[in-house]
Amino acid sequence: MSPASDLSSGLGPSPILCVKGLSKQYVRGGLWRKRVHIEAVRSVHFEISRGQTLALVGDSGSGKSTVARCVTRLETPDSGQVLIQGTDIAQLPACDLAPFRSSIQMVFQDAITSMNPRFSALEVIEEPLLIHGRDVKNRRDLTRRLMEEVGLSPDWMHRSILHFSGGQQQRLALARALALRPKILVLDETLSGLDLSTQAQIANLLLDLQAKHSLTYLLISHDMGLVARLADVIGVMSGGMVVEVGPTDGVLSSPSHEASKKLVASAKASASNLAAMTGGVA
Amino acid sequence: MNCATERLAEVRDLTVTYSPEDGEPVRALDAVNIDIHSGEVVGILGESGSGKSTLASAMLRLLAPHARCERGTILFRGRDLMNLSEAELRAVRGRDISLIPQDPALALNPVMTAGSQIDEVLRAHLPLNAHGRRTRVLELLREVGFDRLQEIYSAYPHQLSGGQRQRIAIAQAVACRPSLLIADEATSKLDITLQEEIIALLVQTRRQHGTAILVISHDPALFVGFADRIAVMYAGRIVEVGSSAEIFARPLHPYTQALVRVAISSGLARSSLRVRLPTIDGEAPDPTRTTVGCRFEPRCPERKEICSRRYPQEFMPEPARPVNCFKYGE
Repeated sequence: MSPASDLSSGLGPSPILCVKGLSKQYVRGGLWRKRVHIEAVRSVHFEISRGQTLALVGDSGSGKSTVARCVTRLETPDSGQVLIQGTDIAQLPACDLAPFRSSIQMVFQDAITSMNPRFSALEVIEEPLLIHGRDVKNRRDLTRRLMEEVGLSPDWMHRSILHFSGGQQQRLALARALALRPKILVLDETLSGLDLSTQAQIANLLLDLQAKHSLTYLLISHDMGLVARLADVIGVMSGGMVVEVGPTDGVLSSPSHEASKKLVASAKASASNLAAMTGGVA
Repeated sequence: MNCATERLAEVRDLTVTYSPEDGEPVRALDAVNIDIHSGEVVGILGESGSGKSTLASAMLRLLAPHARCERGTILFRGRDLMNLSEAELRAVRGRDISLIPQDPALALNPVMTAGSQIDEVLRAHLPLNAHGRRTRVLELLREVGFDRLQEIYSAYPHQLSGGQRQRIAIAQAVACRPSLLIADEATSKLDITLQEEIIALLVQTRRQHGTAILVISHDPALFVGFADRIAVMYAGRIVEVGSSAEIFARPLHPYTQALVRVAISSGLARSSLRVRLPTIDGEAPDPTRTTVGCRFEPRCPERKEICSRRYPQEFMPEPARPVNCFKYGE
């Protein structure tokens, strides 16, 4: 491994996840139309220490989700490294990825579309165990424990997932992601699209789970309020590049790049307008 | 407020039930009353499942086939929309009342250009020739903030970004200068800077054309500086109504109080790392289960014995502040 780059977060001990020079292009068009190469992500660097949270923020189209998909190898990056505890998985063939897939799991924005709609809660949670050939004799006990851990009643184990509310489905998605005891969770807009109170409940759950299992989070979000609560480090993305990385308080109090300034300013304005309206209610 | 201005729409006792073929009936709206005055921005604040989108569809008589309107009237300019024929309704929709959808990617036709989809609305309602309509579409595109008008006119929805698609949907909605716009979570899928731009656009539409707007959202922050009055919905009922300023500064219903508290703490604050956020305990009630009492009672920090026995009638602890809660009388 080469020494950490200037853009590294520099917090805590050795990084559990380290991304170096990550690039990914998509090709649009072809056949009858002109082929156009779109650079979704360009030489992205960052690293996260164990038990910490790094948030990637930025406007839609800035490349956040592409980074998430490359890090979890749902996409294969064109170039660059994705080091998980020192091993580069960026170009590993699918057959060698299995052990890494269990250490890095992803939770999507729309939980229900990432699950088989015919499944019960039990089937959703035990699916990864079956895929990874885990010989868990007491899968039911494990499911029970996972459901309790994410705040769902194990009595609902046999209910169809369609009978769970949006927030409960997101809890199920978390239980499924935790089934393989991963070290890293990639949370791609996991909290957006939920009601504010549900969002806060899930955010609290994420904090509890992180403290309990020293989980490492890569959080993809456009909600600066949540990022301020969950992330140790913020990486701001714009036009496919990470334009600023730093400790959360620093980026929020004195953002240096234009894109960061804009994001922070909007979030601050919205928060202070609401505060002005409410006076001293809260 | 606005008692002096004309009452544009008046919803009375509106009660809607969904009866899915394979499930329990769900009462989505229960005796809902709301007034909208000309040029007024009314916010409907509620969490998912509170019935706010059902209210939006009911106002356009666009309820799903398995929904039944059991009771109630929707007076629009003195005419009851409930009694109109399908042909009469088509003349109202898009012309007098129009909807800005939550997800324009789904609402726009993927094989028609942006311009021709706005043109379609004009053709349906206004006596303009092709040339007149094209001029008008270009004006509308400029009005919703586009510069390269010809290019946008002939662009297909997939060539546009999310924010641009929402502008096209707004151009469609305002094309015939409706007197009432319904915006159902129209900005909730956009990021914060785009959200501000779309709100600014709606504020401008209202100012220039006196359009009344019914804005539906789960996020109180959206209404700040935008809505004149806010109605708070919980489990199919309106539980509190007040001016925007009053709802934020002095929420009366315990549910509104909790919601405002959550909204404030979910905004950006410094040095709050790993601080747990306040929440509203529990989940929204199971809509298939009917109760006689207040629907918020199981989650309410101030519940009393009476709350589970019957639904609180409307109390008026302050002028123009109706609230359904036994805190204010029994």
